[in-house]
Amino acid sequence: MLTSKCMKGVNIGYPLKIKAVDLKESEVDFNPDFISRIIPKLDWTVLISAANSIGKNENLPENLLPEYEKNTEFLKRVHHVLLEIDVVNGELICPESGRKFPINNGIPNMILNEDEV
Amino acid sequence: MDNCGKATLSRKCDRKQKRCQHIIEKETGIKCTLMASKCIAICNAGLVNGLSEETVYENFIQYGSIDNITMLPGKSCCFVRYKDIEAATRAFDNINGKLNIAQNSKPIYLTYVENIPSPDPIYQNTLPTGLIIIEDFVTDTEENMLLELCNFNELENGSMKHRQVRHFGYEFRYDINNVDKDKPLKEDIPHQCDILWEKLKLEGIDFVPDQLTVNCYKPGQGIPPHIDTHSAFEDPIISLSLGSSVVMNFKNEDVNIPVILPKRSLAIMSSESRYAWLHGITPRKLDIIPTQNDLSVIHRTTRVSYTFRKVRKGECDCQYTQYCDSHAKKLKSKSNSIKNDVAMQLETAHVYDVYDVIALHFSDTRCKPWPNVMKFLYSLQPGSILVDVGCGNGKYLRCIENVFSVGCDRSFGLAEVAGQRGFEVFSCNCLNIPIRDNSADGCISIAVIHHLANEERRLQAIKEMARILKVGGKCLIYVWARDQIRNQEKTFYLKQDRKNRKESSTAVQEQSPENVTVTGDVTLPVHVNRTQFQDQDLLVPWKLRAENTPDNKENTFLRFYHVFEEGELEALCSQLDYIKIVKHYYDQGNWCCIFEKIKKD
Repeated sequence: MLTSKCMKGVNIGYPLKIKAVDLKESEVDFNPDFISRIIPKLDWTVLISAANSIGKNENLPENLLPEYEKNTEFLKRVHHVLLEIDVVNGELICPESGRKFPINNGIPNMILNEDEV
Repeated sequence: MDNCGKATLSRKCDRKQKRCQHIIEKETGIKCTLMASKCIAICNAGLVNGLSEETVYENFIQYGSIDNITMLPGKSCCFVRYKDIEAATRAFDNINGKLNIAQNSKPIYLTYVENIPSPDPIYQNTLPTGLIIIEDFVTDTEENMLLELCNFNELENGSMKHRQVRHFGYEFRYDINNVDKDKPLKEDIPHQCDILWEKLKLEGIDFVPDQLTVNCYKPGQGIPPHIDTHSAFEDPIISLSLGSSVVMNFKNEDVNIPVILPKRSLAIMSSESRYAWLHGITPRKLDIIPTQNDLSVIHRTTRVSYTFRKVRKGECDCQYTQYCDSHAKKLKSKSNSIKNDVAMQLETAHVYDVYDVIALHFSDTRCKPWPNVMKFLYSLQPGSILVDVGCGNGKYLRCIENVFSVGCDRSFGLAEVAGQRGFEVFSCNCLNIPIRDNSADGCISIAVIHHLANEERRLQAIKEMARILKVGGKCLIYVWARDQIRNQEKTFYLKQDRKNRKESSTAVQEQSPENVTVTGDVTLPVHVNRTQFQDQDLLVPWKLRAENTPDNKENTFLRFYHVFEEGELEALCSQLDYIKIVKHYYDQGNWCCIFEKIKKD
């Protein structure tokens, strides 16, 4: 969902590449209904490549499974990747300009300098 | 009159003629002649000293058929060409020195001329760009039906100095040259007019207006040249002529194009003709229209025009900026407001830096979600994506289950507080939200954009929120209101003052406000907490007690606020035509607005 499109000279700025230094895994209550409603709002390919880039694929398939809303096992894995893994320290990188946005304490700093907008 | 007197008159004529002939030749290049000819010049009267084409026509037509009258702008002479010499001679003999139609009712003097100036290019058949005239747009029956809808004989009020007028849908107010957009009239456009939009559709024009002005012009009445206020109406404007034909003059810079509006025709003014050309009707009883080798004359009878317009929501953004009131307003507000670079410094020093320091203490005071914000959050569908722009400590981020909430804040201090509470947050400036277009189902921004130091920036923040919303997505914005008393009731903010709780009156500032030069040449008043706001742009103190500061010293920080006037937030939102205001309200000292994105921006 995050993009660097606001930057001058960047057309799409999506998806941002992720470079993870520290990861944190935590436990969040699993809500299958919520997850199956969120899935159609995701760009699945982007999610998979993001998960791959931080080495947390959790065996998610390249293509979205049919009737995933009935597949609790699958939903659990999506839940884990989506909600339970946080990049504590790292970077988000604009695919076009290479601009790096630092992540500190789990908070990406997306503030642009005046000359970047 | 004796012979001597006759001779005097004749000599006077001769002298006048000589002088004028000289001027005519010099100014127009037209040669005068002593021989009778079809062409006659009036030497001492023309447009510049008040002679009208109409008067010339009425007086000269009595002696035979005329095939041209040429009035030159800015000249004190004019020309008449008869079809034959006999008619010209008759006119010359009867009029020269005898007809008192020159300035101050003095007689006019004539001379024969070899020819008349070639017709002015203004009489060419080209219409102003964007103007379309559809002849016979309605039938005789339809014309009568429409005329009966609006019987002016029964009307007593609504009469203008020069004509009678009546409005439907919205009233056009001539005092402000605009419509009261919030006050539609009880009377809509009569449904009988619906046939017109259907006919327009057949012409390939999709236009359904919501405002109608009916004007009734008696012969001799007119309307001064004007351009319809850009911010009042959209493009196009259409006008139906009923009862009589008329000539409407279109004027742009020094080009003047008379356009015949035949009875039962429809004039469509669009693009340049709508935005950049003045149009008006000269008050006179007849219109003289030169044709290729003749003059055609329209004797005006009572004309009723139905002018249909669509009230503009928001401001005009046409390219004809020199004629545009919206553009002028924008320029004015830009020059009055804090410049962007100063605004940025001001926001950094008096918003972000302050919040970074007071973040923890501020967060402790911001625990309870506001009920009306909760109501908005509960209206979101399960599985929605919600963005909280300026989330502060994140108090709205985990309010509802089944909604994926992300927050952002420009203050690192506050974003950190929210992050530690386990919320999805990132740091960004709300002027550039790093979220993809059309991706959020809901958006809230509670007490945020009043920290932006000029209108352009506040609008930019709203644009960003509208941009990230999906079509159909809704956004709720809260801003602090200048007015802290509504319906005689003080807000919680005022009531928190002990003095206010006791006394029935509001605490008023006793001393004049302290002013602080914040950055560059901007000086802002410092607000006295728990009182009504005295200004719109001001600094609001935040007191940090000694135990809350790193150095254990009590300190006061000044935060910049722009407090909103009634209607200001709505006016900002309604500048964007891809959103629709769903609701706006006042809630405990705040102006609030919910809008929905209705199409892609």
